[in-house]
Amino acid sequence: MADQRDWLSTEVEVERSMPGVNMTSAVWRRLRRHPGAIAGLILLGLLVAAVGLANFSPYNPEASEMSIKFQPPSLQHWMGTDALGRDLLTRVLYGGRISLTVGLIVVAIALLIGVPVGALSGYYGGWLDVLLMRVTDTFLSLPSFMVLILLGAFLREIKIPLIERNNVLTIGLVIGSLSWMTTARLVRATFLTIKSMDYITAARSMGASDWRLISRHILPNAIGPIVVESTLELAYAIIEESGLSFLGFGIRPPTPSWGNLLSDAQNYFVASPWLAIFPGLMIFLTIISVNYIGDGLRDAFDPYKVLEKVGEY
Amino acid sequence: MSSFILRRLIQTLLLLFLLSIVLFALVNLAPGGPMVGLGQNRRVRPEQLEMMRRQFGLDQPLPVQYIVWLAGNDWMQVDSDGDGLPDQPGQRLGVLRGDFGTSINTRQPVLSEISQRLPNTIYLMGITIILAILIAIPIGILSATRQYSRIDIALTTFSFAGQAIPEFWLGLVLIIIFYAWLKNPFTGDPLFPAGGMYSLAGSSSLTDRLWHLILPVITGALGWISWYSRFIRASLLDVIHADYLRTARAKGLSERIVLFKHALRNALVPLITMLALDLPTIFSGAIFVELLFAWPGMGRLYYQAASARDYPVLMAVLMIGATFIILSNLLADIVYAYLDPRVRYE
Amino acid sequence: MKNIQKVILFTVVAAALFVSIAGCAPSPATPIEPPSSITIVIPEDPPNFNPILNDTGYDGLVMEMTSMGLTDIDADGKVFPELAAELPTTENDGVQVGDSGAMEVTWKLRQDVKWADGTPFSADDVIFTYQAITNPDTGSWFQGVDYLSDVEKVDQYTVKFFYSSVYTGYLTQFGGEQMSIWPAHFCKPEQGFVNWDCNRNPLSLGPYTLKEWVEGDHMIFERNPNYYQAGKPEIDTIIVKIVPDDTVRKQMMLNGDADIDMWVKEVVIEDLKKSDKVKVSITEAPRWVMRIFMNQSQRGETSFGMPHPLFSNVLVRRAIRQAIDVDTLTKGIFLGYAQPVWTEFFREPYVCNIPRPTYDPESAKALLEEAGWQDTNGDGIRECHNCGTAEDGYVMEIEFGTYAEFGESMTLAQQLVSEQLKVIGIKTNITQTEGSVLWADSQSGGIEQSGNYDMDMWDDGYAGVDPTDFLWEYYSVEAATPDYGYNFVRWNSPAFNDLLGLSYTLDETVRKDLFCQMAKILDEQVPQILLFTIVNADAYSARLDGVHSNANDLVTWNVADWKIVK
Repeated sequence: MADQRDWLSTEVEVERSMPGVNMTSAVWRRLRRHPGAIAGLILLGLLVAAVGLANFSPYNPEASEMSIKFQPPSLQHWMGTDALGRDLLTRVLYGGRISLTVGLIVVAIALLIGVPVGALSGYYGGWLDVLLMRVTDTFLSLPSFMVLILLGAFLREIKIPLIERNNVLTIGLVIGSLSWMTTARLVRATFLTIKSMDYITAARSMGASDWRLISRHILPNAIGPIVVESTLELAYAIIEESGLSFLGFGIRPPTPSWGNLLSDAQNYFVASPWLAIFPGLMIFLTIISVNYIGDGLRDAFDPYKVLEKVGEY
Repeated sequence: MSSFILRRLIQTLLLLFLLSIVLFALVNLAPGGPMVGLGQNRRVRPEQLEMMRRQFGLDQPLPVQYIVWLAGNDWMQVDSDGDGLPDQPGQRLGVLRGDFGTSINTRQPVLSEISQRLPNTIYLMGITIILAILIAIPIGILSATRQYSRIDIALTTFSFAGQAIPEFWLGLVLIIIFYAWLKNPFTGDPLFPAGGMYSLAGSSSLTDRLWHLILPVITGALGWISWYSRFIRASLLDVIHADYLRTARAKGLSERIVLFKHALRNALVPLITMLALDLPTIFSGAIFVELLFAWPGMGRLYYQAASARDYPVLMAVLMIGATFIILSNLLADIVYAYLDPRVRYE
Repeated sequence: MKNIQKVILFTVVAAALFVSIAGCAPSPATPIEPPSSITIVIPEDPPNFNPILNDTGYDGLVMEMTSMGLTDIDADGKVFPELAAELPTTENDGVQVGDSGAMEVTWKLRQDVKWADGTPFSADDVIFTYQAITNPDTGSWFQGVDYLSDVEKVDQYTVKFFYSSVYTGYLTQFGGEQMSIWPAHFCKPEQGFVNWDCNRNPLSLGPYTLKEWVEGDHMIFERNPNYYQAGKPEIDTIIVKIVPDDTVRKQMMLNGDADIDMWVKEVVIEDLKKSDKVKVSITEAPRWVMRIFMNQSQRGETSFGMPHPLFSNVLVRRAIRQAIDVDTLTKGIFLGYAQPVWTEFFREPYVCNIPRPTYDPESAKALLEEAGWQDTNGDGIRECHNCGTAEDGYVMEIEFGTYAEFGESMTLAQQLVSEQLKVIGIKTNITQTEGSVLWADSQSGGIEQSGNYDMDMWDDGYAGVDPTDFLWEYYSVEAATPDYGYNFVRWNSPAFNDLLGLSYTLDETVRKDLFCQMAKILDEQVPQILLFTIVNADAYSARLDGVHSNANDLVTWNVADWKIVK
């Protein structure tokens, strides 16, 4: 599902984002009126703040305390304790750092690969376009989750500095390398639409460099779809990391991630349900708020709504 | 149109060739190599391993292995007794002639392994996706026509929730609730079976099969429902705001006619194209559903092959999967061209 | 208008297409309504019926239902005859040792055993099996094959094996959990032992025959009417159902949909014990011992004489042994099912009196100080100060690995050990590797065989009553050569090696004495740290009788004796 979304709506969407409006403030104004997005923003803000406060927890996420293992939630341990008597809340917060970092790495990779590929392809066209789009097509033709499993299974045995054995970076890179294609296509579509418009021709005749045209005049038009796409990717990365963990190819213990906390809990599903509920809840809340923000952004970038508003005034 | 299809087919073949090299390299990148899978039996002597490498042709350099994989080795002499001298023709036909090799794990032809699993996966995934669409279409329409209404917000939240629950977690919860906890008040049996495609003992009637389908289909379909309902909502909204519908409304047509006669028709085009694009998942299956519900499908075959480093199986599943994806892209393009008169391919 | 028709047309065609495909889905097996039937649930298909090839345990499980060896090992570790009429010993002249040291073993075979097709079992089958395995091109390898030199058919029901020297494991060589006898008239020798069709479609000699195998879903076994023990087996049908998920298998046991779940973990035992529908059989004579391996050679070195900065010093190895709180591991993580063990010689008949090492972090620290490892910069991790095995300032930091498949309890145990080592100033970086990569041969990049590790933890133990092969594999000097054994800690003890060489004798008194001398050396030198035994448990439905977990074999070792009580 992941790599095919927006396959069609892409070009339509891009055509609608007209330049010239003070985008940021307009978008923000519209976003504020979207209750779901605001709720999502607040919730995500709280989650990020909580995860950021993990260091202030009085408990060590990795220090065992065998005398208090499998304690249900209490005043001392809000989410209970795990099989080694570690405070689950602390581990969930640290795990959140890992899971969100994986998400951010994936988004970063999608932007770092997708935006240049799409921009170069769309702006210059010709053989460069053909080449880059063939590469994009090849990646799109990969059965992505299967390749993900393959890479997860193999990379966990490889020890290269930095991407050693399925650490955060490895998993981020693996998921990211399979999810930049939609971004590339979105950016390319924007460039194809915008580059022949009058104001670009005008700017070019006034001597604006290619770099300036790409970065200042055309790329900003793609920000809407890119941002929306990035929120979706963030959500998918978190889900995919948890899926990989369930299969044993995810981030390796003792580093906690929401994914491996959740999959480790399956032995205790009935006896100590809190171990499964809280990490699952965190994933759920994060993704639902990210989705709402994405939804709000999509609407906020939607110019038809702008036009309607203009008409109302 | 036919020249367009021909051109795309040639491109497809090139792409597949490229992919086969990429995938072959990827699969062989793993530390150790395929014999690692046999290392679980630690009581194997080096001479024995050497012999097995020879039996599977893994003693050859990678490019040679690729050529053998692609074109077979019955046209060349291979060293079968390990004395370093080629002595008899090989036995493999190669992928080009439909021979995907032998599974290292089971020593069965890979194609026969796949053909045992594929029908089960098509059966499960086909029903899952069809059901998902049947549910998603009304949800999408309701959401789009009442954008920002309470019902839209509720349905949107449902959709987002569907995407926010990891599939394996949902499956496990369903099994615990409907298999372990809830019992049929009359017979005391569990409400639903824990897994499998049909009951082994007793009747395996149509109802029995349906009964076995319910939990896996719910687990698998939730994500699809969310995804398709959002997709339908978005494409309907696109159309609803389009100029020609404004015109239609301006001409005084009722909202109902505008919606069902014009908007829906045009919104279905992208949906069917999207459906064509999603066809490959019918092949690759749903790995979590298959693992949890003991469903003997492709996802599990692949997972087991990845764990056991069964390279011939991995290569075959990946290549066939990629072929499906490329072909369904082609199908999507054709369908799109066929359904939407505005699109014309040069 | 035309468009909508196209849409409808397309949808109808697509739906018709789908229905026709779905129609091709395999129709279910012929409904069976057997008089008595039980279900065994296992997580994956057996690769075949020949455990010598893959040894996943599931192949052994099904092999025990259809096949037999000359002997087998019971739950107490005693060898009993299966196809053999009696066990050959020196007393009954079954075993003779010549002056040159060469050994001859004469097997008298049962004369009342038939293959499922009615063909009588005979000495030809034994010889056929031996020749198929030892074929240099298409064969395989089994324990002690290096000692065997020849075989001779004495008569239709007597076989004589010739050994170049005394091999103490001869009793279980043609039996046990891996080895079975193959039918000479059925298996095709030209296909070769590793590839022949009968590996997946065997001709039965045991209590059950394979009737149906739907890969990934189930196998159906039916009682073999030609089974040699009259009236056995009692249960008509055994269904082996493939259910990958642990939790689902447990729930199936609790709901009564499954009758046997093999190798259940400690947490699952605890859950199952609460139900009166399920019983758990736990082996009284455990086999698997959790142990820590410390590489005495430098990382990546496979020879002696390149000392590891930490573990080449026996004081460091002893310090680690004292720093690990075994009781917390056995009670806290393994829920009391694990028993502390500190010597290889804890199993009958070779029990040696070695005092249990104390858990004492303070004296562990003292040992490290004595070895020249101190923490002078106050970061809690020691550095080398005249340690003699590394440069001054070398930080006491190591990689600590295990294999991933064991599951969560191993990961937890690893984390606890890591914490306990930190207390005495050793920093460990935890890794988990697939067993197949950890144990692979050095050419395939096997981590341990190629010496690319510092410290590893996992479990192993020997089947049956003879530890000699096991000791050779783990502790002999020869076994330090990559891929020829598992002495990948590269422990070099000529004294131990000499004792081991002497123990290849049939004189039990001498062997007992030699083993206890070895036990002392192992205790002093600490080539491995033995921690505790791992429980071998199989869950079975309360309606079954006769199920007896066996650490030396799979749960189906005595399947012919199972009964349904209700």
